[in-house]
Amino acid sequence: MRRLVWALLAVVVAGALWYGTTDRDERTASERADDIAADLRCPFCRSESVRDSQADVAQNMRAEIARRIADGESDDEIVDALVASYGETIVMTPSGSGTASLVWVLPVAALVGGLAALAFAFRRWRST
Amino acid sequence: VKRPRTALLAAAGIGVVMAVLVVVLVVADPATERRSESPLVGKPAPELAGAQVDDTRPSYDLAATDGRFTLVNFFATWCFPCKVEHPELVRFAEEYDGAVDVVSVAMDGAEPARAFFDERGGDWPVVDDDDGAISIRWGVLAPPESFLVAPDGTVLSKITGGVTFGGLENLLARVTGG
Repeated sequence: MRRLVWALLAVVVAGALWYGTTDRDERTASERADDIAADLRCPFCRSESVRDSQADVAQNMRAEIARRIADGESDDEIVDALVASYGETIVMTPSGSGTASLVWVLPVAALVGGLAALAFAFRRWRST
Repeated sequence: VKRPRTALLAAAGIGVVMAVLVVVLVVADPATERRSESPLVGKPAPELAGAQVDDTRPSYDLAATDGRFTLVNFFATWCFPCKVEHPELVRFAEEYDGAVDVVSVAMDGAEPARAFFDERGGDWPVVDDDDGAISIRWGVLAPPESFLVAPDGTVLSKITGGVTFGGLENLLARVTGG
């Protein structure tokens, strides 16, 4: 009985691992197009995403995204193709490499530096 | 005695940071006036192939026209600067015939583009881009925009806004070292 429980547990763990690590994209083509467009900045109007903008260029980009999805391209391939034409600035989320990575690094560095300065100041005030 | 000094130092530090920020904001160009270079410059030209707006002419393919410079012009018939630049393009195409090819990409359909050329002249290939696929590949924001492509197919320059004959001559002289 105990062996059966262990075997059952092993099957459940293996199943959970498989489920958790398998890359499943269950989105429809339209949902994928929406997600990609939401992550791209309209290069003409800047303040809106490609999904939300009604500018001609944004409409053309949405059509291009749909065409590329129909051609079987992955999300990354589609974004890369549009970045090659319009530049890195159309990506809403800054890149984690190069100069753009400063956007992620600087706030953390400022927070750590600020906390360290506060700790230092408190210690000095306590000792006086 | 030390507490006010520390506070003073902290205040001075914050003041310096604020001063630097103010200087940066004052000196930097306003975001609305910034014009970025096309990421295509220096790279192989994107594909430009398709049916011409005049369906009696054969399909056009930029890759098949090597050996000469090519000026790729994106335009729309509703766009006023496109109407203003058109006579300049006509003059440039005539005077540089044989040295520089001109090709236009019509962004708002074949029929209006045919009428546009019938009315204003110009005898060069005009590719139909009604679905916007070519414009997107070339990173076009709004017409008119033009690209100078080298004989080896490399994009040499992007011109945002209407072109002029003199501006095109200068650009050509610069890239050819003339």
